Amino acid sequence: MAETTVTPGRPTRSGNGGRGSPRPVRQGLSERALGKVFVSPSIILMAMVALFPVLYAFVLSLYLYTRRQPIGFGGIDNYVRALTDSRFWDSIQFTFIFTVTSVTAEFLIGLGFALLMNQAFRGRGVTRAAILIPWVIPTVIAAQMWFFMFNVTPGFINSVLGLGNFNWLGQSGWATFTVVFADVWKTAPFVALLLLAGLQTIPNDVYESARVDGAGMFARFWYVTLPLLKPAILVALLFRTVDALRVYDLPQVMTRGAFGTESLSMLVQQYVVRTPNPGYGAALSTLTFIVVLGIGIIFVRLLGRDLVIGSGVEGGRR
Amino acid sequence: MTSMTPTPTGSVQERALDTRAEELEREKRVLNRMNTLRMWGKTALLGVILFWCLFPFFWLIMTSLKQGDPALNDPNLFRGPFGLQNYVAVFQQDFHLNLRNSFVVAGMTTILCIAIGSLCAYAIARLPLKRKILLLSAVLAVSLFPPVALVPPLYEVWRTLGLLNTYEGLYLPYTAFTLPLTIFILTTFFASIPADLAEAAKVDGATPFQAFYRIIFPLAAPGVFAAAIIVFVLAWNEFLLASTFAPRNPEVAQTVPVAIAAFTGAVEFQRPIGTITAASVVVTIPMIIIALVFQRRIVAGLTAGGVKG
Repeated sequence: MAETTVTPGRPTRSGNGGRGSPRPVRQGLSERALGKVFVSPSIILMAMVALFPVLYAFVLSLYLYTRRQPIGFGGIDNYVRALTDSRFWDSIQFTFIFTVTSVTAEFLIGLGFALLMNQAFRGRGVTRAAILIPWVIPTVIAAQMWFFMFNVTPGFINSVLGLGNFNWLGQSGWATFTVVFADVWKTAPFVALLLLAGLQTIPNDVYESARVDGAGMFARFWYVTLPLLKPAILVALLFRTVDALRVYDLPQVMTRGAFGTESLSMLVQQYVVRTPNPGYGAALSTLTFIVVLGIGIIFVRLLGRDLVIGSGVEGGRR
Repeated sequence: MTSMTPTPTGSVQERALDTRAEELEREKRVLNRMNTLRMWGKTALLGVILFWCLFPFFWLIMTSLKQGDPALNDPNLFRGPFGLQNYVAVFQQDFHLNLRNSFVVAGMTTILCIAIGSLCAYAIARLPLKRKILLLSAVLAVSLFPPVALVPPLYEVWRTLGLLNTYEGLYLPYTAFTLPLTIFILTTFFASIPADLAEAAKVDGATPFQAFYRIIFPLAAPGVFAAAIIVFVLAWNEFLLASTFAPRNPEVAQTVPVAIAAFTGAVEFQRPIGTITAASVVVTIPMIIIALVFQRRIVAGLTAGGVKG
């Protein structure tokens, strides 16, 4: 407690050490100094373990390696290699297809679930608890579970659908479908949860007056629910999109990247342990970083205003 | 409706009123029936959600209890024999050590995240800070980082520092990655505590720090608890960094998800369905209990943080 500085702009709590006050006042840190002290551990940790590695990756990406041994400065060689590698573009393609299809399906199903739960009187508590369960279990478990359900042996899904020995996981196209399906199963309930919270902030009076004005069910949904739900929808879409772009667990466990299901994250990871090449791996990770953060920032920019308004609504509700 | 109470004398009018009342009565009954129907319909539709969320676990539990290849390879869920053999096999493969590792890593992540994150959140919510917007943007940016961007550089650093296959090598990056979420959740909760309370404490002679940890922190306990559960779950489930930085050796630091992804059968490249499903059930049941018991807290935390899956 060496610092006992008191900011000059705050005369009300001056009296360093409490001279002349009736009882001894321990002054401690001023609020401004305390603010800095409180914030710094978080900033230092995030800078060291999140920001520094990203910069270090950029440095690594400029060097050439054979296995783990640096063999010289390569400049943009690693980037040229990545951008001319069809595997890189294949993984970009899979990652984008995965993101668009899974986020769309999760949004539609999640919205449906949220509307149902918002309407029902009975069983809402039970459903709300159940809906947390797919979110709470590890993605790896969900991946193994759906792998075995889709797999030819024991062939549970094939026997339910009467498909015989249909090989879901062993052909391109359907392999992507199974990965998307597993992700939708795990995350649609979570989207529903976020949207339900948004729905519950819409006051009933709005619906009543819309009803009085003669709005039917569809009109009420389109002109009342959707616009008022927009902040919650945008937040859910932002975080789901950024999360889907980083997909790793599901394709890694379900298909190991076979049949066109290798995601960007999987491609990067491959050059770290299995076929180590720190330079090339770092170039790929830097490209991934730019793609994912770029899309995230575009999203935030587009919704900036709504995000702020959204959090305002959130704060007001409490 | 009250205007109808004075009975008019004309019999025609009376009859007309009677039929009108009957009509109203009938309409009401129809409406009532429609309402109960609609309510039951809605409850039934909730059944769809329950089925979606829970049925795969029924499949999982049934499969994990099957014994022997003929039963395990049969799509029929009720084809026996049933028993606990798979569970015995799981713990023969040191799965309890994986559970211990996951507990330590997720626990340390939670403790660090709450300790560091609550300070930062309080500063953002209540203390005078310069460049608050810049700070919040930086926190948001970190929450958008793809974790894989850290994997190649951190792997090199951890290799040099000897942090591969250690608890520290996992919970340090986990903490950095879950801090943004913790800060978002806790800022919302701290902001909801009336500012007057801290002011009053200061009038009574408390330093700003005392006002924080004596008055505000205990009041924010429900929020802190919500954040802690969510951080724990996220750290418990993490796979990418865990499988890269500690891929093997349950005795050292291999966590539960890595073990479940890596179980191998008698034949290489064959996934042992019995062991994997049994291990999944062992992990899933406590997680389901956590979800059910702390449902309200978790939902409050998730919606306060806005946030990611």
